[in-house]
Amino acid sequence: MKQCFFSQNNIKYVDYKDVELLKKFLNPHARVQGKKKTNVKARSQRQLAQAIKRARFMALLPFVAR
Amino acid sequence: MSKKSTVAKNNEEKIYEIGFHLISSIAEENVPAETAKIKAVLDNEKAIIISEEAPKLRPLAYSIKKAFGGAYKIFDKAYFGFIKFELPEGGDIAKIDLSLKNNESVLRYIVIKTERENTMYSPKISVYSDKEAKARFPGSKVEKEKITKTEKVEKVEKTATIEEIDKSIDELVDDSKI
Repeated sequence: MKQCFFSQNNIKYVDYKDVELLKKFLNPHARVQGKKKTNVKARSQRQLAQAIKRARFMALLPFVAR
Repeated sequence: MSKKSTVAKNNEEKIYEIGFHLISSIAEENVPAETAKIKAVLDNEKAIIISEEAPKLRPLAYSIKKAFGGAYKIFDKAYFGFIKFELPEGGDIAKIDLSLKNNESVLRYIVIKTERENTMYSPKISVYSDKEAKARFPGSKVEKEKITKTEKVEKVEKTATIEEIDKSIDELVDDSKI
């Protein structure tokens, strides 16, 4: 079984500026991947979603991509 | 917000972070002056700066328009910088928010609650090329050999303190520049 990426790397707070990290959890259309796909623990998944939305607002990530 | 539970420790110290885009029509040499203006407001509210990054020109993921006296101007790049600070009793975050809103040279900004510790996993904001980024994150298809090499190094670093890691990262970055 795959383990939570954030637990493994001891990340307790997901930063919206960490674009390279966030990109890992987007699909080619730049949508947030579901928890089944990311295998991330629930708290991290919520933080991740929040961080991605902040990054989108700050134009660090796109809202949509082809 | 959902972050409250994690931030509430340490007698509810208030750690905020502002991230902002300065419009790209500012000349490169005037950027520090604009940042100083923002910092002056923070100073006024008795904010204690924890960490910051000087605004740097980067492309935006999508174009943003801003009104200048009735006419829109469209930007597709901007100087992105951030300041993390502690706000002691008596400081007003609403005033900081308002000053950023009224600042003509701020294209877009965000005010968030965060933690004192460094929250970045990648050492710098997306200065990596795609290949390097993939090598950093295990599980990607490419660069699997590199991962095994880098993993060993990372494991050693993890036992070190945060300052030591920061130092070693700085050294690495300096080396790559030369």
